Amino acid sequence: MKIHVKMIGPLIYDVGFSEKEIEIPERTTAERLLELISVPKQRPRIVTRNGKAVAPHEELADGDRIAISPIYSGG
Amino acid sequence: MNGWTGNILRVNLSTKSVKKETYSEEFALKWVGGRGFALKILWDELKPGIDPLGPDNKFIVALGPIAGIPAPNTGKTVVAAKSPLTGGYGDGNLGSRVTEHLRRAGYDILIVEGKADAPTYIHIEDDKVNFLPAQEVWGKGCYDTMNWLYKKHGKAAGILTIGQAGENLSLYAVVRSMEGRAGGRPGMGAVMGSKNLKAVVVKGTKPIPQADPQGMKTLGAGDLRKVQEIDKKTGWSKQSTTGVLAWCNEVAALPVRNMRKTHHPDAWKVDGERLNAARVATYGCPNCTMRCGITIHDREGHESELDYENIGMLGPNLEVFDLDQVGSLNYLCDDYGFDTISAGATLAFYADAIDHGVVSGDFKFGDAERAKQLLGMAARREGIGDLIAQGSLRMARKFGKGSEAYAMQVKGLELSAYNVKFTPGMALSFATSPIGAHHKEAWVITFEINQTPRESYGPEKAAKVIELQRIRGGLFEFIVACRFPWIELGWPLDNYSKYFNTVTGLNWTLDDFWKVSDRIYGLMKLFWLREFPDWNRTMDYPPPVCFDPSNADTEGPIAGKVLDEKKYDGLLQLYYDMRKWDRRGIPTRKTADALGLSQEAAVAEKYARLE
Repeated sequence: MKIHVKMIGPLIYDVGFSEKEIEIPERTTAERLLELISVPKQRPRIVTRNGKAVAPHEELADGDRIAISPIYSGG
Repeated sequence: MNGWTGNILRVNLSTKSVKKETYSEEFALKWVGGRGFALKILWDELKPGIDPLGPDNKFIVALGPIAGIPAPNTGKTVVAAKSPLTGGYGDGNLGSRVTEHLRRAGYDILIVEGKADAPTYIHIEDDKVNFLPAQEVWGKGCYDTMNWLYKKHGKAAGILTIGQAGENLSLYAVVRSMEGRAGGRPGMGAVMGSKNLKAVVVKGTKPIPQADPQGMKTLGAGDLRKVQEIDKKTGWSKQSTTGVLAWCNEVAALPVRNMRKTHHPDAWKVDGERLNAARVATYGCPNCTMRCGITIHDREGHESELDYENIGMLGPNLEVFDLDQVGSLNYLCDDYGFDTISAGATLAFYADAIDHGVVSGDFKFGDAERAKQLLGMAARREGIGDLIAQGSLRMARKFGKGSEAYAMQVKGLELSAYNVKFTPGMALSFATSPIGAHHKEAWVITFEINQTPRESYGPEKAAKVIELQRIRGGLFEFIVACRFPWIELGWPLDNYSKYFNTVTGLNWTLDDFWKVSDRIYGLMKLFWLREFPDWNRTMDYPPPVCFDPSNADTEGPIAGKVLDEKKYDGLLQLYYDMRKWDRRGIPTRKTADALGLSQEAAVAEKYARLE
C-alpha cells in the first residue's frame, strides 16, 4: 500500500528526505515504518496520522498521511 | 550575600538623580530575582490606577542569581512595568549584553522613574551614571540607534533600546537589544518611550559575587560545551524554533488568517526547512551555544532574524507565504520596535474585520506590501496606523459590530502563534498566562496532542499547565536564564539548582523553587485584582470566537470542532482548585498566607475582597 510520509525539523537531515510517497507492506505499524525509513532509534519523536497522534503498535492504512516530528516543547 | 549583588540602581529622569540602594537577604530569598524582583517592586511602589504611560510608572530591569554567569544559557534580562496594553502586570525577557554588564557594574536591579524633559539615554559605567542626550537618534529605528550607540560606546557594551514604536507609544512596543533580540511584549518599549528614554547603555567590570567562583567557572564552561554537543547531535539548531511550524500545520494548530484556519497547503513555503536553506547568518544571545536567530535576506535585502513566532504571526496568520516578505515584515517590526506577535495579530484582525464588512479598508490577507505600509503608519501613528498601534482589542472596541469576538487576545495581549481552536489545554495556558496570552508561561500543546486525548478537558491538562508555569514562568524568569536547553534539548532541570547553589552557597531543591514560583503567580494575580477590583473568571477565557461552532474547520483533523465553553469553564475551575484560588481565579486569604503573601493580601483587601 501507499502512504505519504512527511518528516519534520532535524529528522529531515537524518533520513535524507522531507516528504514523499512510499510503498509499505500491508499491516505495517507506525513503529515498523520508522525502522523502514531509518529514523534513528534513540531519537524521541512524535508520529501523527492525518493530523492525529498514532500509537507505535497501530497499523497504517493505504492513503495515510504520516508526519514524524521531534518532540518540540514550545520555544 | 553570595549570588546576589544586593544592590539596586534607582534613577529618576525628571530630577536627573541617581540613588544606589541595597536590598535585604530576606527580599533575595523570597523573590530570588528577575520577574520576582520586578513584580515585588512594582507592587510596593506603584499606586494602583496610575497611567502606565505617565511619569508615575516605573521601568524595571531585573536580573537573577545565575544571570550573566557563564553557564547554559544565562544571557537573559527581564524588563517590567505596569503594562499600557493590558493595564496589569507586564514583563518580558530578552537576550542582551546588559545582563552581564549590569551585574558587573554591581547591580541586580535598575529602576527608572519619572520622565526626562528631552530624549535621553542612560549611560552606566560601574559606579558612574550619566544622562546623555538622544535627540540625534529620536525618530530613528532600533538598528540605526544601536549602530550610533556602538560607535560611541563600543560593540561590547550592553544596550537596551526602542524604535519609533516605543517613542510614539504603540501599546505593544518592545525593548530591543543586539541583532534581533526583543522582549517586553505588553508595551515595555512604550513605557521607555513615555519617559523620553531612548536607550540604556551599560558597561561593568567588577566580579559578580559568587560562593564558589572557581567551581562555577568549571561547571558552567563544561555544561556550555555539553549543551552544544547535544544540540549538534540532535540537529535542533538547523531549524531552531521554526521546526515546529510544519508540525503545527500537520496537527491543525497553525495560526492562519487571524486564526480562523488551522492549516494551509502553502505553509511549507515558510517552514523551517526553507528558512534553513535561505540562511545567511545566525545570531544568538550571550552565554548561548544553541543560537536560534536564523537570519535571511528580506525582500529589500536587509538581514532579518526570524523565529517561529515571527513567521507564524507575520506569515500564515496574514496569509503571506513568501519567506522574504515575511522577513521584510519582521525586519520592519524589529526596526520600529514592535512586538511581531501582536503586530501580526493586529494586522490580521484588521484584515478580518474588513473581510467581515465591519469596516471598510484596502487591506487584505496576503497583501504583504500593504502590511509593510501599515506598519510604517502604525510606527508614526498616522491614519489607521494610530489604531493599529493600539492592538487588536482597542481596534475591535472602536469597530464594534461584534468584532471583539475575533480580536485574538486575552487581557489585551495577543495570542502567540498557536491556534487554540481545538486545544483546550493550550487555550487554558494562554488564558491563565499572567501577562496576557503568551506562550512563554506554559506550552502544553505537544503534551496535549500526543499524550492525552485532544478533546479532553481533564485534570491532567490543568496540572500540566501549572507544572510548566512553575518552570517556565517561574524558575527561568526568576533565576533568569533561557529555558531552551531544558525544553528543547532535555537538559535536566536539576542542573539549574546546581548552578543556583554553586553561586549562592545555598542548598535549594527544585521544590524550593516551586514555592517561589507559586508565590510570584499569586502576587501577579493580586496585582491584577488591585488594578481591576471587579475581576471575574471570564478574564481567564480565550477569545469568544474559540467557542463559536460557525468558526469550526470544514476539513482536516479537527473538522467541525471548536472549544466547548462549559467544559472549558470546568477545566479552568480545575486549574483554580489546584492553585487553591477562588472562583474568580484569585488566591484566597488562606492561600495567600501559605504563599508568604500575608502583607500583600492585606494591601489587596483595601481594594477588593479576598475569600
